[in-house]
Amino acid sequence: MNKLYLAGIIAASLLLLGTYLSVGTSEGGLNGDIVNQLAVLGAVFIVLIAIFVVVKYVRQMQTDTADGKLADESWDGIGEYKNELPMGWAVAFFSLMVWGSWYMTLGYPVNAYSQIGEYNEDTVAHNEKFATKYSDISGDRLIEMGESVFLAECKVCHGINADGIDGKAANLNKRISVESVKHQVLNGSNNFLLGSEMAMPDRNGLFNMNSGELISDAEIDAVSAYVANGMSGAGADVFAGACASCHGDDGKGMEFVAPNIVAFTPELVANVVTYGKKGAIGRMPNLGDRLNAKQKEAVGAYITSLSK
Amino acid sequence: MENRPLEYDYTVAKMFMFATIALGIVGMLVGVILAFELAFPGVNTILGSGVAEYTNFSRLRPLHTDAIIFGFTLSGIFATWYYVGQRVLKVSMAESGLLMFLGKLHFWLYLVIVASVVVTLLAGITTSKEYAEFEWPIDIAVVIVWVVWGMSIFGLIGIRREKSLYISMWYYIATFLGIAMLYVFNNMEIPTILGTNGIGESGFGDWWHSVSMYAGANDAMVQWWYGHNAVAFGLTVPIVAMIYYFLPKESGQAIYSYKLSLLSFWGLMFVYIWAGGHHLIYSTIPDWVQTMASVFSVILILPSWGSAINMLLTMKGEWQQVASSPLIKFMVLGSTFYMFSTLEGPIQAIKSVNAIAHFTDWIVGHVHDGTLGWVGFMIMASLFHMAPRVFKREIYSKSLMATQFWIQTLGVVLYFTSMWIAGITQGMMWRAHDEFGNLAYSFIDTVTVLHPYYTIRAVGGTLYLVGFLLFSYNIYKTMSARPVEESELQNASPMGA
Amino acid sequence: MFHWLEKHPFFFAVGVFLVISFAGLIEVVPSFADKSRPVIGTKPYSTLELAGRHVYIKNSCNACHSQLIRPFKSETDRYGHYSLSGEYAYDRPFLWGSKRTGPDLHRVGNYRTTDWHENHMLNPPSVVAGSIMPAYPWMFTNKANVDTAYAEQLTIAQFFSVPYNKAVPMKDGSTKVVKMGSTLADAHALALAEAKVIAADMKNQDVKDAVAAGNIPEIVALIAYLNSLK
Ligand code: HEC
Ligand code: HEC
Ligand code: HEC
Ligand code: HEM
Ligand code: HEM
Ligand SMILES: [Ca+2]
Ligand SMILES: [Ca+2]
Ligand SMILES: [Cu+2]
Repeated sequence: MNKLYLAGIIAASLLLLGTYLSVGTSEGGLNGDIVNQLAVLGAVFIVLIAIFVVVKYVRQMQTDTADGKLADESWDGIGEYKNELPMGWAVAFFSLMVWGSWYMTLGYPVNAYSQIGEYNEDTVAHNEKFATKYSDISGDRLIEMGESVFLAECKVCHGINADGIDGKAANLNKRISVESVKHQVLNGSNNFLLGSEMAMPDRNGLFNMNSGELISDAEIDAVSAYVANGMSGAGADVFAGACASCHGDDGKGMEFVAPNIVAFTPELVANVVTYGKKGAIGRMPNLGDRLNAKQKEAVGAYITSLSK
Repeated sequence: MENRPLEYDYTVAKMFMFATIALGIVGMLVGVILAFELAFPGVNTILGSGVAEYTNFSRLRPLHTDAIIFGFTLSGIFATWYYVGQRVLKVSMAESGLLMFLGKLHFWLYLVIVASVVVTLLAGITTSKEYAEFEWPIDIAVVIVWVVWGMSIFGLIGIRREKSLYISMWYYIATFLGIAMLYVFNNMEIPTILGTNGIGESGFGDWWHSVSMYAGANDAMVQWWYGHNAVAFGLTVPIVAMIYYFLPKESGQAIYSYKLSLLSFWGLMFVYIWAGGHHLIYSTIPDWVQTMASVFSVILILPSWGSAINMLLTMKGEWQQVASSPLIKFMVLGSTFYMFSTLEGPIQAIKSVNAIAHFTDWIVGHVHDGTLGWVGFMIMASLFHMAPRVFKREIYSKSLMATQFWIQTLGVVLYFTSMWIAGITQGMMWRAHDEFGNLAYSFIDTVTVLHPYYTIRAVGGTLYLVGFLLFSYNIYKTMSARPVEESELQNASPMGA
Repeated sequence: MFHWLEKHPFFFAVGVFLVISFAGLIEVVPSFADKSRPVIGTKPYSTLELAGRHVYIKNSCNACHSQLIRPFKSETDRYGHYSLSGEYAYDRPFLWGSKRTGPDLHRVGNYRTTDWHENHMLNPPSVVAGSIMPAYPWMFTNKANVDTAYAEQLTIAQFFSVPYNKAVPMKDGSTKVVKMGSTLADAHALALAEAKVIAADMKNQDVKDAVAAGNIPEIVALIAYLNSLK
């Protein structure tokens, strides 16, 4: 066999192998996705056609000889043969023009195709496929699904370990920080944490029933530390006097009245995701439109699992 | 008198040759910096964080594309025009004082524009449209320079001795007309100093600032009608002009087929323009415009290949020349890369392939197949051929040229293979859903996987730049170190060891 | 015929010109008119947002970021509803981009916030580990160019009838009026009022002080623009 063919085959194999490996090991992969498959097919075509053509013409440089009738003119010593068109080229050009005219007039005339229509179909198919897959998962699988949502949607802010990246967003491994509690008590809270407009008053609306007065600075510090420590240490009396009426004696909240502040609950997380939140650290965007109910449930389960 | 060879005047060609080399070094150096910035973001602050405003990726990227396209490539086009034009029309610029004046005016005005582009882009003055970043005062200067070039083209044609236009001339004329039309329409903009408020005051803010005449999707359509054809009439058509002259000239072979030249030229002219919509596939422009663009892109393979095939067949039976002359190697590999990118482009223009390829590095890979392997190689080959004739000295070193060839070839291969893999990997990761139907990757996951490929690309780009520096050195030595050749040089360029 | 053209450069040039301009007309013109009408909910940029848009352009953010969500499930999951032509009716120039080194930003206002941008623009890897986006610390000190933004508002209102100071329909059936200053001082006042809202959500004391003193750093304008992308 000619060295050239060998080189062509080797080059083609290397490029194809490279493509195969990169697709095979790429985490997207072919994935049964028709677009992925066509793209790879396109890549393979580029390699094969390019190499075939190079080999063909290099062969001609090696073995053929130039001939033909020269035209009369010559420009700065450059002559021109009056050779006919290469057959393959002429046929290919002509056929493609015929194909193109057919395609645009008969095959897919002006409004024959709608990319939005295609999108709608794909989306319905996608949603159906996955709705059946996850509609009744629960427990660990739900948490797993929640983790996958978290890693795609939330980790840019909360960090890969959900630690809030040095206070840039809430640390979700822990229910709440001293600063956050203090902020809520000082400023009140109106973040739809219960899924409805149920606000917590600011310090000017918080009575300590033990003292019969508005909550004081010292008491705020104490109760903040108490809550952030998971309801332990000093400040229990302030909590009982000022907060328990809404949040319950144990801080676990009461339905329709106040949220659980000792532990995350899937509902609370879902509400934060749906309505966003503005607090001591900053603003958490509302991601309501980006996730469906199941995804919210799942990410809620995942976050809740983190601080257990 | 009639029989004495004409004394061509290469003054202007020489000036543009220097510009080509200088701007090539700048443009490629910036490209290498960009490549390293993506692989190692610390490079953004390479000159210290104080000047990072001017050295970070986003400020430098337009500088790379403009320096390399409107600096390096365009100077190369002008340099070869002022060389080839005289020779195939058989007139010397020395015969007309006016043409000499226009040529020099052309060069100096051009340099002024280059300088103002560098300054404004570094200062962040840009309209953001790709390959059309310049604000209106520069646009006006560009139009003036273009008109000057046009006068010099048609002036030379006006006094020509050779009645019939050689193929290269067709392509130079098309370059002139195409860019003129595209540039004017894409740069329709209104200076904001005209904005007048209710009490008749105007002239607020930066005087150079303007606003596009077109909005949104329309602006996009005009921009990519321009952008695509700027590639056509800036990175393809004039380069074809070069190869049609320099390959047969250097090899002493006659063009394989006039008919093929003819059909490829008019085919290219006709088909190219329609394909602009392939930059907007799956965007909000009408479906039929996209379909039309895909179809014409596929057809476009043939007129593009026509020229390349014509060149390869011109070398039929001349393998020993390819094997022995690095100069011819550049041109043969150049036409091969031309074929490669004009096959790759159409395949990327197919809707489903574009769904993956668009927005990824696969496109960047395609860009550099064409620009490094075709545009860069052809411009360097042309200058190599011109140098002995312009400076009347043999090329300083053939072995240096051969070394350069292999270094740069390796550079291009590393560049496009790494971007090929990077692009396909990223495109697929963006699309991937996991078993629960959620997105499998957050965006940053699709960035960090690219690190090794970005590193390989940076290495490949560095090799290419090193090759270009060798080229510059070789030309510099040619000018200064070799003995003067008295005889009129025919085909194969003389080269030192 | 071709041989004849090759001997007659003028007609040759005319021939080339006809061939190349013809396709351009067919490609660009027919879809021009119907693609430029705003959809409901699209409103002109306010002075500060426009100044922010200029910061975006000045720093070629579009070199790495697209603003075009294609109609694929994977893109709408990641970025939100696919883009519509009418949403760009007030975009001069368009900023669709052609390379996504970073994510699409067409609706980034929906899922990122002022304080996040503040952290991110100052030092991207500090929020997103492994980010290759450059840091833009000078935006915290450079002043936004309100004058030019105002000049642009005047220009587009005058030449393209962009509806400033007019009621624009919103998706929920209400209307909104985007104000444009009647004088330069007025424009500055409007921009500053907007800037104060943004600065209130920010942490950087220098920025807050600057805004309090009546100056608007570029970062504030940029964030106003990013937040407007919805
Ligand atoms: C009048 C009822 C009421 C009282 C009294 C009350 N809270 Fe609340 N608290 C709420 C409600 C309702 C919410 C949820 C508000 C929302 O949606 O943002 C809440 C939210 C909170 C949060 C925010 C949880 C989060 O994740 O952001 C904290 C912390 C908190 N309360 C602590 C306290 C402490 C400490 C006290 C006592 C000093 C207290 N609350 C007293 C009703 C109350
Ligand atoms: C653009 C940034 C950003 C994104 C994206 C984001 N968050 Fe947050 N999140 C924050 C910030 C900032 C806070 C803190 C708000 C505060 O209390 O000051 C927060 C707070 C929270 C809280 C409340 C903690 C508490 O104590 O009340 C929960 C729960 C939460 N995020 C869950 C999520 C989940 C789940 C996702 C993804 C689906 C997510 N976040 C995405 C920025 C973000
Ligand atoms: C070198 C390329 C590059 C440039 C230039 C660049 N970015 Fe980015 N950008 C990225 C990458 C990569 C990411 C993803 C990682 C991250 O979030 O930092 C990103 C993320 C972002 C995000 C977060 C979007 C999201 O959905 O999480 C915003 C907002 C952003 N960039 C704005 C800008 C602005 C504004 C500019 C210009 C001033 C800019 N970027 C310039 C590469 C770039
Ligand atoms: C038959 C010929 C060609 C076709 C059909 C073609 C097609 C394409 C396509 C489909 C894209 C990608 C658009 C996108 O998805 O973003 C593209 C981009 C590009 N191509 Fe080609 N290509 C061709 C030849 C060439 C050649 C020869 C060169 C250079 C010498 C070139 C330079 C470019 C450049 C610079 C871009 C990037 C544009 C941008 O900034 O986005 N192309 N081409
Ligand atoms: C030393 C060689 C070169 C290197 C290392 C290099 C590197 C780069 C890099 C890193 C980018 C940015 C890609 C991105 O945004 O991800 C780029 C873009 C580009 N370069 Fe180069 N480049 C080189 C030479 C050239 C040459 C010779 C040309 C043209 C003749 C060229 C034309 C372009 C164009 C048109 C783009 C924009 C592509 C697009 O928008 O899709 N480059 N280059
Ligand atoms: Ca312009
Ligand atoms: Ca681009
Ligand atoms: Cu194109």
